[in-house]
Amino acid sequence: MSSKDSDERPLHIVTPLLRSVALAKHLPMCKNVYLKMENCQVSGSFKMRGFGHLCQKLKQEGCQYLVVTSSGNTGLAVASASQIIGIPCTVFLPENSPLVSAERLQKNGAQVVVKGADVTAAAMFAQEEAKKCGALYIDPMDPRVWTGHSTVVDELVMQLSDKPSVIVAAVGDGGLLTGVLKGLERAGWQDVPVVAMETVGTHCLNLSVTAKKITVLDKITSIAICLGSSVINPYLWDILPQFNVISEVVTDAQAIRSCIKFADDECTIVEPGCGASLASVYCGVLTRLHAEGKLPHLESRPAVIIVCGGRSVSLHLLQDWAKQFNVPFPST
Amino acid sequence: MNSHDYEENEPLHFVTPLKYSKALSEFIPGATELYIKLENCQPSGSYKIRGVGRLARKLKERGCQQLVSASGGNAGVAAAYASRIIDIPCTVYVPQSTEPACIKLIKDNGAQVKIVGSSYSMAEEIAIKEAENPGIGFLSPYNHAEIWAGNSTMMDELKVQLPSKPSTIVLSVGGGGLLLGVLKGLERLGWQDVPVVAMETFGAHCFNLSVKAKKIVALEKITSIAKCLGARTVAPHLLEILPHFNIISEVVTDAQAVRSCIKFADDEHILVEPGCGATLSAVYCGVLEKLQTEGVLPHLTMGPVVVIVCGGNSVSLSLLKEWAENFNVPFP
Repeated sequence: MSSKDSDERPLHIVTPLLRSVALAKHLPMCKNVYLKMENCQVSGSFKMRGFGHLCQKLKQEGCQYLVVTSSGNTGLAVASASQIIGIPCTVFLPENSPLVSAERLQKNGAQVVVKGADVTAAAMFAQEEAKKCGALYIDPMDPRVWTGHSTVVDELVMQLSDKPSVIVAAVGDGGLLTGVLKGLERAGWQDVPVVAMETVGTHCLNLSVTAKKITVLDKITSIAICLGSSVINPYLWDILPQFNVISEVVTDAQAIRSCIKFADDECTIVEPGCGASLASVYCGVLTRLHAEGKLPHLESRPAVIIVCGGRSVSLHLLQDWAKQFNVPFPST
Repeated sequence: MNSHDYEENEPLHFVTPLKYSKALSEFIPGATELYIKLENCQPSGSYKIRGVGRLARKLKERGCQQLVSASGGNAGVAAAYASRIIDIPCTVYVPQSTEPACIKLIKDNGAQVKIVGSSYSMAEEIAIKEAENPGIGFLSPYNHAEIWAGNSTMMDELKVQLPSKPSTIVLSVGGGGLLLGVLKGLERLGWQDVPVVAMETFGAHCFNLSVKAKKIVALEKITSIAKCLGARTVAPHLLEILPHFNIISEVVTDAQAVRSCIKFADDEHILVEPGCGATLSAVYCGVLEKLQTEGVLPHLTMGPVVVIVCGGNSVSLSLLKEWAENFNVPFP
């Protein structure tokens, strides 16, 4: 895409919605199980929807230099978007990020600064840098990010002939979930149940729902670091009651088992955070919710799993995690 | 797609993503951009639904009440899927070497499977004989003008999706159905001068033998593990139109194809069969670079390179591991 085109056309693409025979076998009562393949998205995850949209808007407002904090997919999305729209970008990574994350960002044209013990500390340094250089600091809780993410539902409206019986999405800081809810509102689908998946050790939404108030996780202890936000965004908390969001949590072992099964079933390798979404099918979460009466239309309308994507995975890592969690590799 | 969602004039295939691949671009000299056309995202798991879907519809329109096909795997899955959507009974004849995963997928789509003989050509002979009965149509996997017309739709998508005319297209050759489709598309777009690098594996290299002999050469036996490329001869029409285009026939070993499958799984998180691995070997094993050095691809760096990720259902983590062991290729 040329720099001029990128001012007008969205930076993300319409991703395939694929019917999964393999996953449907684990949900026999369900009419059909569909996978929204955000792993095919530009930059490798759904994040290009929101951050591509935000970067375009910031450029239109005169921004000439972008700064962002990230340990993974957000940084990649911003780096890719910056390259397309022709603006330099610096990504601040915390010191505990894997080395390969920095390399991947550099290969995508971003300047990388590794500073700060964790994401919060790295964000502080990033904001200082932005102030110093007159750059714009990318706030992941900018509402324009959620507007961008919400396009995933606009596509579902076009691609499905029926309203979904359920949508499954993984939750980190809730950006994707917020986008999905905004999209549901626009489609008049506010009553569609959304099963919001987290792993134990990144489950800030679940803690908040249980405590009936925003609760901060002390520490991220799950391997699903792409879901590793210690708190959900406050706007999500405000709008939650207007929708039908069901918060569920799975273990790292269940997420890894689901990643490995998915690789065999659909020839696609995903990160553990995405494995959490798939665990909703593979580990019986949707089956249980249906038995509890919480998914009344499962038998007559299609289920949609958002395969959020993500670059921080490899055959080697999958095997390491399989060993760590005593999960068969390959799946039996 | 479900049969009740299908509208008469609607194609059975999807528009697939064209994704910029940073990892593969690094193997091309200069700042050349390499794009992967993700045919693995087709509803039947490979590009075959483009041609097979179109032919199935035509056969039904012409009054067939039943379809028969022959396949080593992916064409059979496409035939079964297409038949289910347009609501016509289908029987697929397959050789004994067909992967159980493909047989399962064919049955899951409601088609009958008949396992006959040790080779694809035997299965094809039996299917063609069966189609001599009234009301039965033969759904050829690669040797029919409607197949090539259907497959050529990929090129129309590339015209819209690419930033500029491609410098090179890379794909694999089995019976030549994909290559013929691409050539028909190139002709329609006035792009006949675009070089097409046509990859095969040793032991499934009937096209390469035919190009060298300047006539159709039949392989005695398929000895490559790339069973999805396992046609003993290419469609004769391919040799007829060859002089009008710029086709470069190249062959790699099974070991190179497997090594490329493994590298691709880590680079782009997609598991592909060895037949598709042959395509990727053009990049990973330096074939494109060699062709540029030899002056065969003088314009390689003057436009985007397109690699067709043909897809395929006969792959899994355990198969990848098994192939790696058999060919002494490191599995990460």
